[in-house]
Amino acid sequence: MKVPPQKFFNFCAAQVPLLRALNEQEGEVSESDVRRLIRSTSSSDELPETTWKRLAELQILVPVEPGSDFYVMAEQVRRLLSYLFDEANAATPQIISGYIDSIEALDDQLSRAIEVEDLFGARLALEELQQTLRRIQSDLDQTHRSILTEVSRYKTERGVSVREKFRRIRHWMERYVDPIVEMVRVDGPLHATFDETERLLQRAREHGLYNDLPGLERNFRQLRLIQRHALRIFQQCRRELQPLYDSLRRASFIAEGAAIALERMQREGVTACADAVVVKVLTLRWQHAPSDPAIERAILSVAEYQPVPPPLLVLNAEERMPESYLRRVWLEQLSTMIDQDLPVPDLLEWLTQHFPEKDTDSALSGFTRLIFAPDIAVHFTENQFRRYETSDGVLEGSPVRLTRA
Amino acid sequence: MSNLLYLEDIFQKLRMGYHLSPEDEPIFSAVTGNYEAYAAQFSLLGLKLKRHSRDFFYFDPDGNDGTRETLPRMAVFSYILIDHIANKGKPIEEFLLTTPFLVSQLPHLSMDRYRDLLRQVDVEDEAGLRLIIKSMERLGWAKFLGEDEFRFLRPFHRMFDKCLELSEKSPNAKTESEFEK
Repeated sequence: MKVPPQKFFNFCAAQVPLLRALNEQEGEVSESDVRRLIRSTSSSDELPETTWKRLAELQILVPVEPGSDFYVMAEQVRRLLSYLFDEANAATPQIISGYIDSIEALDDQLSRAIEVEDLFGARLALEELQQTLRRIQSDLDQTHRSILTEVSRYKTERGVSVREKFRRIRHWMERYVDPIVEMVRVDGPLHATFDETERLLQRAREHGLYNDLPGLERNFRQLRLIQRHALRIFQQCRRELQPLYDSLRRASFIAEGAAIALERMQREGVTACADAVVVKVLTLRWQHAPSDPAIERAILSVAEYQPVPPPLLVLNAEERMPESYLRRVWLEQLSTMIDQDLPVPDLLEWLTQHFPEKDTDSALSGFTRLIFAPDIAVHFTENQFRRYETSDGVLEGSPVRLTRA
Repeated sequence: MSNLLYLEDIFQKLRMGYHLSPEDEPIFSAVTGNYEAYAAQFSLLGLKLKRHSRDFFYFDPDGNDGTRETLPRMAVFSYILIDHIANKGKPIEEFLLTTPFLVSQLPHLSMDRYRDLLRQVDVEDEAGLRLIIKSMERLGWAKFLGEDEFRFLRPFHRMFDKCLELSEKSPNAKTESEFEK
């Protein structure tokens, strides 16, 4: 339905506070909310019911869906009010991306018109291009203004916590500035599209399709201006936000650390978590330090130290041969010693006569060793028993004769 | 014998946990101008003289087991103040290090949550708060400007460092670092 402009602006002129209040509402509003706003802001003689009806008639408020009791301000009106109230809205990356897509479509249209020398088609494409470029310019300016407003709001607003501020500024950086800078930078998609547009405009001029040369020059200028302008604006926005972002980021982490410490101390008790939350400080107490006389004694001990030669180790302390070793050597040599006396008629007699110092145990060991010696033959006899004296006893037995095997 | 200036004074202060800052002239300038030599001198005693990035000096407490009983009090006091200032949306570091405070107007006794924590470290009233600030003054972290008025000194940055350390160790820290990429 067409809205009569005079009626619309007359109504708006009489209801500025109401329109401002409605514009500040975010999202949907119910009929009762609107009626409440009408009552609280009304400055004209108009009845609240009439004001409510006019809002609908003039399509200032539109239902979110047919038959709904919830309303939103018509987008066109919101834009107009933002302009009138000097409230800038930042362009989102999607908006800029939409412009880029739109210019690409116009480039296609212009390219086709040049191909077929369609003068009308080329003119339409150029007019739309100019419109789009003006919108980009306007959105860029609005974005810059809204970021400046946001920055000054951060600096002046009270009662908003540091962490909340950081979350918001992070949103601005993530949502608007960083992605848009990526888009508008020299090697980004905006520049690529604009370069293509400029090339097509040159072709249109060369083909004599478009005789409005000053108009073409304006387009060139505008294209170049917007490229530079877009990059400059978003770099400036970044420069405005970055210091705030950095300081708020640090402050936010400090606040978070303090909140963690407080929460932990509350939960676990201060004593239990003291080690984790306390800032340690070195303290040297006197009881930890040695006294001067002690240091003096220690230094004197070092200074007056007389070196003592190291003790000499007696490496050949074991000069006497061990008995077991001598016994073993004797046993090993027995067969060689007896060899020159073979044949021997009585082995025990030979042993006790040649080695009278040997005890009974050694004599019997020698006896056994010689009996089993490989080169000697043993002959046991049944002769009369004889007595053989050792150093510590007497042995009795029949003589055993030995011969060479 | 070393010819470093004020060596004994400096040692006597530092050994008690004191932090040397520009408030401590002329010894601060002496250390600032010849930091390496002082650090080398103290290292002979096994002590590490630290120079903080914000330009103040203290003995590294690493390996020192002796925790004073005043330190938990100072921690509770400081965290409460930082929390309060953050909730008010003020720039924490700038505000804390440039604003003079009045003991009678501190937020510590204004909320049950804060009072409960202070009670854990036997602080119930303004007199208790004043004692904590006195302890901080002995460390060179704060300075009384009058009976009731005081301000924080540069070495209070050690509290901020601790906050950052705790924040970094928290599970949310990952999200923050991811954001930085």
